[in-house]
Amino acid sequence: MNCLDSSNPETLVAYVAGELDQDAASALERHLADCPACQSLVAEQAAVWHALDSWEAPQISPDFDQRLYRRIENESRSSWWRRFTGAFSPMPLRQVLPLTATAGLLLMAGLLFYRTDTAIPTRSHVQTVRAEQVESTLDDMELLRDAM
Amino acid sequence: MGVAAAALDYDAELMLRVKDGDGASFGLLLEKHRASVIHFLYRLVQEQPVAEELAQEVFLRVYRSRASYEPTAKFTTWLFRIATHLALNWLRDERHERGQERLDDGPAELPSRQVLDRRPSVEQELVYRVKLDEVRQAISALPEKQRTAVLMHKYDEMEYAQIAKVLGCSESALKSLLFRAYSTLRARLAHMVSI
Repeated sequence: MNCLDSSNPETLVAYVAGELDQDAASALERHLADCPACQSLVAEQAAVWHALDSWEAPQISPDFDQRLYRRIENESRSSWWRRFTGAFSPMPLRQVLPLTATAGLLLMAGLLFYRTDTAIPTRSHVQTVRAEQVESTLDDMELLRDAM
Repeated sequence: MGVAAAALDYDAELMLRVKDGDGASFGLLLEKHRASVIHFLYRLVQEQPVAEELAQEVFLRVYRSRASYEPTAKFTTWLFRIATHLALNWLRDERHERGQERLDDGPAELPSRQVLDRRPSVEQELVYRVKLDEVRQAISALPEKQRTAVLMHKYDEMEYAQIAKVLGCSESALKSLLFRAYSTLRARLAHMVSI
């Protein structure tokens, strides 16, 4: 086995990472037993490997998913609106103007027809019946019945 | 990776279901890869709020691309390619705005160290934080591609072939890249026996 240098770049990294297969690892260990320079290299790589192990990432915000789904929902809504408005955007002005004028005229005619057909009852048509009137009528009917 | 091999990728299957309108499968993908994507981005940009914001954009892009998704590569290769692209763009913009001053700043936030049996003394905690800051700065000082390769290799335990695909290089080029990156880290961090 050759020394661990740039001619076999993956061996050192893979050995310390535990990625070497059994045969390759055994061959390297036999070489290490007689090569102080490679021993030192392995020790340094192992120190780096363990140092990197200690770098933990912070906890993830509990509302991460919620925020993501809200963004997806907002995007879906805005894309629906874009599709809706997009359907009209390519229409040239000379086509839009007559359509808008016709729609406006139809709307006004409809409103006029609706107002004349269904008159809203005014206050003068409404007969208000008071409680005292009802009572006095009932008393009158009682008197008439007694008189008979 | 061919289509046949990709067929074995369960994530790709889930993504195809998302393509067919199955929102629950998107939830499964999110659940499965949320932590690895955010942690990868955190170590790359070294700011947790930024990492989460970028991760939101990563998953949003995945969702947006559902209609055109084709399993031509392993799902995680695609996912980490998006994450890497976004993070490196952010770093370039950030560097452009602030220069390199951020590297000399103290750590914005460090996770509190979990010790199972006993609480560390104030001194131990201080030593830990100083050394952790050294690790953080040593990683930051690596060239972008080397840094990304080391993070994927060390923390996401990705295979060489997959990292090479994410970075758009050959497998042998990646091995040389990692060798150079770890050589630089050894020069800076080998004095740390353990932290």
